[in-house]
Amino acid sequence: MSKPDISNTTVQVKESLFKRYENLTVLSIFASFVAIVVLIQLISTGGSRFPTFISPVNIVNILQQVAVPGIVAIGMTMVMVSGGIDLSVGMLASMVSIVVSLGISQWHFGVGPSILLGVASAVVLETIMGFIISRTRIEPFIITLGGMISFQGIALLLSNSREVVMQGELNFLTINLVEGARDPVTGLILRIPPYVLAFFVIAVIGGLLLTYTKYGRRIYAVGTNPRAAFLAGIDVRNMRLSVYMIQGLLVGIGATMLLARINTGIITLGQGLEIDTIAMVVIGGTALSGGKGNIVGTLIGVFFLGSIANAMNLLRLPSEVQFLAKGLVVIIAVSAGDVSSQISEFRGLKREQAKARSVAATAKKGEA
Amino acid sequence: MDEILRLSHISKTFPGVRALQDIAFDLKRGEVHCLCGENGAGKSTLIKILSGAFQPDEGGQIFFNGEAVSLTPHTALRMGIHTIYQEHIVFNALNITENIFAGSEIARRGLMQRKEMRRQTENVLRYLKSDLTPDMRMSDLTSGQQKIVEIAKALVSKSNVIILDEPTASFSSSEIDTVLNIVKTVKEDGIGVIYISHHLDEVFEIGDRATVLRDGRRVSVYPIAGLTKTTLIKDMVGRDPSTFYKRERVERGEVALEVMNVTGNGVRDVSFKVHRGEVLGFAGMVGSGRSELMEVLFGSAPLVYGEIKIAGKSVKHGSPKSAIQNKMCFITESRQTTGLFLPKTIAENVAVANMVNTREFITRPANDLLTGEKYVKLLNIKAPSARTRVVNLSGGNQQKVVLGKWFNTGGEIYIFDEPSLGIDVGSKQEIYKVMVDLLKERKAILMVSSDMPEVISMSDRVIVFKQGQIAGELTGEELTEENILTLSIGDRKE
Repeated sequence: MSKPDISNTTVQVKESLFKRYENLTVLSIFASFVAIVVLIQLISTGGSRFPTFISPVNIVNILQQVAVPGIVAIGMTMVMVSGGIDLSVGMLASMVSIVVSLGISQWHFGVGPSILLGVASAVVLETIMGFIISRTRIEPFIITLGGMISFQGIALLLSNSREVVMQGELNFLTINLVEGARDPVTGLILRIPPYVLAFFVIAVIGGLLLTYTKYGRRIYAVGTNPRAAFLAGIDVRNMRLSVYMIQGLLVGIGATMLLARINTGIITLGQGLEIDTIAMVVIGGTALSGGKGNIVGTLIGVFFLGSIANAMNLLRLPSEVQFLAKGLVVIIAVSAGDVSSQISEFRGLKREQAKARSVAATAKKGEA
Repeated sequence: MDEILRLSHISKTFPGVRALQDIAFDLKRGEVHCLCGENGAGKSTLIKILSGAFQPDEGGQIFFNGEAVSLTPHTALRMGIHTIYQEHIVFNALNITENIFAGSEIARRGLMQRKEMRRQTENVLRYLKSDLTPDMRMSDLTSGQQKIVEIAKALVSKSNVIILDEPTASFSSSEIDTVLNIVKTVKEDGIGVIYISHHLDEVFEIGDRATVLRDGRRVSVYPIAGLTKTTLIKDMVGRDPSTFYKRERVERGEVALEVMNVTGNGVRDVSFKVHRGEVLGFAGMVGSGRSELMEVLFGSAPLVYGEIKIAGKSVKHGSPKSAIQNKMCFITESRQTTGLFLPKTIAENVAVANMVNTREFITRPANDLLTGEKYVKLLNIKAPSARTRVVNLSGGNQQKVVLGKWFNTGGEIYIFDEPSLGIDVGSKQEIYKVMVDLLKERKAILMVSSDMPEVISMSDRVIVFKQGQIAGELTGEELTEENILTLSIGDRKE
C-alpha cells in the first residue's frame, strides 16, 4: 500500500524557545523558586536585611553539600544518556568509604593506596555490572538493583556491621582553599574545600566529553537508537560498558570525598544517594529513555535539589517538609516540558481549525 | 450460495494518492474469494475499508446481507467480519484461552468464567482439527500456530466473513498446509473468506474466485476453475512501461563486490558479482531473503559459510563497523527505526556513521554543522538548516538525510533496501537521480526493491529471490514484470 504523500514543500518548523534550548524550562523554574524564597525573606524582615538565601556564604554552603552528589550525578547523566540507569551508586559509595577507612585505620595500607583500593574496587564492581548489562538483554534497572543489594552485603561483611572511625587522615581533602576570605555581606568565613573544586573540574570535563568528543556523541547515538547506532559502525556494547566504568570511577572519588567530611566509614554514608542523583539528573532534563540530556541541565538539577533543603531551613520549615518539596520539584520539573509542548500542540490545532473553517466559509461563498 | 457482502463504486483517496478507484467486489457464503495484485495495488486499502479502519470516499456503497451499511471497526465486528492481519496481534505472556478471549471475556457478576472460556477454546481447536491445547502459552508457539489461534479467535464469536491478509508469509510448507486446511473447514460452514496471498499455488488450491487489482483499479474477476497462472500474472502486471522512470545508462567498470556461496541468516548458497557503475536489483516477495542477505553482506548478521570479496580482496565483516571501513553503505528499509536518530539534528545524523573513519577524538559541533549544511544543499533537503531535527522532516527528506549520512563516509558500494518506500513522487525522482550520480562516480549499487517499476527502470540486472535462494537472473529484454513475477511466485521456468 502506498502511504499518503506528504507535500514536498519546506517544512515549517516552529520550535518554541523552550524546545530549542532544552535547559530553559528547568532554569526558569529554578529561577522562580529562588525568587520566591528571596521574596519571602524580604517580606518577613521588612526589607531591612540582605536575604541570607543568596548570600555568598550560603551559596558556598550549598556547594559543599551538593559537591559529592553532584560528582555522582555527572556519571549518572552519562549512564542515563546512554539509555541505562544505576541504582547501586549509594551502596557502592558506602562500600568504598568502608574499604578506604578500613585500609587506613585497620589494614594500615597508608592513605594513598587505601584510596586507590577503594576507587579501584568501585570501578571493578561497576565494570562487572556494565559487562552484564551490555552483553545481555536484561534491564539495567534489575542488574543495578541486584548490585545495590550485594554491595550493601559486601560493606556490612567488611565492617562487621560496625562503623570504622578514622583519626582525620583525610583532612587534607577538607582544607579551606580560600583561607581568610570573608563574605562581604555577612562577614562570615567562606570555605571552599577541594571537593567543591573537584566537582567543578569533573563537571567541566564531563560536559566537554559529552559535547565535543567522538565518544560523547556516540553515547547520545547509542541512547537515541541503539540499532541505528550499531548499523552506523558504533560498538554499542562497549559504549554501554564504558559509561558504567566511568560511573564507578566517579562514585569512588565521590565516596572518598564524603568520607573525608564525615571521618567515619559507615553503611549509612551513601544511603539515598542514588535517589538524590537520579532526581538531580531528571530535574536537569535527562530522559530515562536515553539520548536526551546534558551536563548543564544536570548542574541546574544539582543546585536546585541542593538548595531546597537549605531554603527550608532558612525559612524555618520543619525538615519533614523537605521531602515533600523535593518530590514536588521532581514532578513539576519533569512534567513542565511535556505540558508546555502539549499546550503548543493544542494551540497549533486551534490555529489549523480556524484556518480550515475560514477556507470552508470562502468556498461556500464561492458556490453561492 | 447466497451473497453476503457486496461493494460497489468504492474509491479511497489519500492526500495526493488515489489508492482505490471505483472498485466492485462481492462475496458469497461458503466461498473463498482471493485478492491478487502487486505491492501497492490497493489490496490492503480494500481490506481496511472492509474492517472499518478506513472510510471509503463518498459515493461508494457497502451491502451486508443485501442491506446498505457503513462500516466502523466496531460495527464490522458486530456483523461478524473478522480481519486477520499479516502481523500477529497477540499477547505473548498469556495462554491460548486468554488470547482468544482478550477483550471479550466471559464474566458473570464481574467474575471470569474460566472453565466456560476454556471449554469453548477447546471446542474451537477441536473443530479446526488442531493439536494445540487451550493452556499453551502464546510465546511457545510458532508463527504458524499463532495464526491458527487468531483464526480461532475469529470463530469463537459469531463469524460471517473472515479476511486473511497474507496468512502464510514466511511459513514452512507444513504450516501452510495446516492454514489452508483450516480455510477449507471454515468455508464448509458457510463463512465467506477473503484470501490475500502472493503465493499463486495457494490461490489455485483453495480459491473459488479471484479478483485482480492493479494500481487501485479492479482489472478482472475470474472463477478459479479453468484459470491459468499465466492469465492471472498477465493481469497483475500489465503496467505501461512507458510511464517508468527513464534512467541514464552508465558504462560498467570492474568488479566491486563479489559474493560466493554466501549462506546464513536464512539465505542459502548465494553467488553474484556487482560491477562499478551498475545497479544490481534484487526482486522477490517480502520475506524471500533479500534484506537478510544484505544484513549478512553488511556484517549485521553472521555469515555462516561463503566468501565476500571487495575489489578482489577477501573480507570478513565481524560488524557493520568493519563493513563501513571497507567502504560499504547500507540504506536500510525502515529509516525511522534503523537509519535515523529522530530527535537529533540533520547535522548530528550526517556525522554519525563517518566516525569510524576519523581518528580525532575531539569533534567540533560547528564542523558537523558545516558538513550538514553541505548535504542539505547537495541533496536538496527541504529544511531551514542542518540544525533542524530529523523528526520534523517528511519521509522523502528523511531518506535524503540517510543518504547524506552514508555519502559522508565516502563509501564505494551502496546497498539500497527499498530506497523509495513511503516517500512522495518528487523525492523519489530526486533519489533516483542521486543513484545515477553515484554510478557516474564509479560506485556500485545493490538495490532491494518490491516496487516493480522501480526495480525494472533502475536496475541493469535483476536477481530474483525465492525462499532464500536465487531463483534466476534477468537482464535486457528479459527484464519484464511478467518474468520477475513468474520467477518469484510462479513455478520455476521450464
